[in-house]
Amino acid sequence: MGNASILLVDNRKAIVECIRKSFSEIEVKHTLFSAANENEAWSMLDGSEKITPIPKIIIIDINRTKNKGIQFLTAIRNHTDLKSILVFVITDSKTDKNKVAALNLNIAGYIHMSFESQTLNPFVSVLNDYWNIIEFSSQK
Amino acid sequence: MNQKLVNILLVEDDEVDVMNVKRAFSKNNIMNPLFVAGNGVEALEMLESQIIPLPKIIILDINMPKMNGIEFLKIMRENERLKNISVFVMTTSNEDSDKINAYNLNVAGYILKPLSFEKFLTSVATLKNFWQLCEL
Amino acid sequence: MKEEEGKCQQELAALRKEFEEFVYIVSHDIKSPMRAISNITTWIEEDLGAVENQEVVANLSLLKNRVNRMENMMNGLLELSRVDRVELEFYEVNISKLMANSIALFEPNSNVEFTLNMTLINENCVTLGAKLQKVILSVLDNAVRFHDKENRKVGVEVVETENNYEIKVSDNGPGIPEEVASKIFSIFYTVNSKDVVDTTGAGLAISCKIMKLVGGKIKYTAGINSGSIFTLIWPKIIILKN
Repeated sequence: MGNASILLVDNRKAIVECIRKSFSEIEVKHTLFSAANENEAWSMLDGSEKITPIPKIIIIDINRTKNKGIQFLTAIRNHTDLKSILVFVITDSKTDKNKVAALNLNIAGYIHMSFESQTLNPFVSVLNDYWNIIEFSSQK
Repeated sequence: MNQKLVNILLVEDDEVDVMNVKRAFSKNNIMNPLFVAGNGVEALEMLESQIIPLPKIIILDINMPKMNGIEFLKIMRENERLKNISVFVMTTSNEDSDKINAYNLNVAGYILKPLSFEKFLTSVATLKNFWQLCEL
Repeated sequence: MKEEEGKCQQELAALRKEFEEFVYIVSHDIKSPMRAISNITTWIEEDLGAVENQEVVANLSLLKNRVNRMENMMNGLLELSRVDRVELEFYEVNISKLMANSIALFEPNSNVEFTLNMTLINENCVTLGAKLQKVILSVLDNAVRFHDKENRKVGVEVVETENNYEIKVSDNGPGIPEEVASKIFSIFYTVNSKDVVDTTGAGLAISCKIMKLVGGKIKYTAGINSGSIFTLIWPKIIILKN
């Protein structure tokens, strides 16, 4: 697949930085955008801060908030232009309270990972390999 | 999927492609039980009549007789018991319309069948790593 | 008279559509058995294990190489048949970025010295970006692939005129013999045997069709000393029929 945009939704600055660093070390060719919360993310998908072309991938931890994450994913699945986005849920939370709801929204993967910089690279590397073997539809 | 091996259903009409997947699985030490359906109609029958245990993963071809992959996906996503299964499209179709339809029906990935077996092995190895990373 | 002409045009359009559908279906459906041949060859190789007879090894490898070439040709044919059906989105393209990025794709593995000169009034242009990129890559690929010298040079020049972008890609390679220069835009035509330089000969045919689609021009001229010059006239305003 060619170059696409990836939107990361997480309010922990340190973790966003860690992931950004890992992306550059693994040499992920896609452009990484980040949003601190669901509202900010929504404005980047269908609002004042809209990213074009629309990101092909969203990465989000849905166990940080009660059900905001699930509401956000539901809204995406109900939106004509956004519903095709691939969603990867990454989480370091031990409780999987939102897992079933997320799987029912047909996320592409529910992934437990630790966000420490040494262990992050192997995770990102597998994800990146996977993104490289799949095809995406042409840009919108 | 680290602990127990989830079931995988392959929906594919081409005999050689079925052999291809089986061979690539065995070369990559993928031991998951693999069930095969020859087209969408057959796959739905297997899933609905519960002849086979419910798979967590479906590998789906698009161009098939009787019921193609996209039609199968549509019906599957409307079935409460089947709708949350992870679907990976594996096809020769490089048509944008097929990719759009598949992603609109929320497949986890759309993979083009490569010509060479060596490349296919690499793709399957990548898939295996990805499956091991994910909780299904 | 008018009526007849209209009828002729209709028939022509119908025929063209039928032809394109035919090419698409044929090349698409032939891919499955082709892949089977390629895969089964690999299985045979694997199952044979170490083979003493080197001819068997060489023939299996030839078989795979030719199936591979067949696939590339099929992909070329498929692409040619779809030129006026896919990637028809207009979007804003930064011409200098597009040129630099296209060259960058060839730089790491080609031992070629590239030069890029641009005279632009406006860097950005709303156009069929994917198509423009395709043509540029295909002309650059030719300049790089058929190069036979130690000291390889490819020059790219872009000049913006009132109505067009004129893109000139020149190389100091072997050039194209005068007597075959008229054939290079035909599908699958290659100046040398496909065994000498592994290529399908589809790139220029596809480029030529794209240039017709956008109402531009592509032409070949021989270089002053040696080498080839490809000139592209890409119109700033593109009007697609239908």
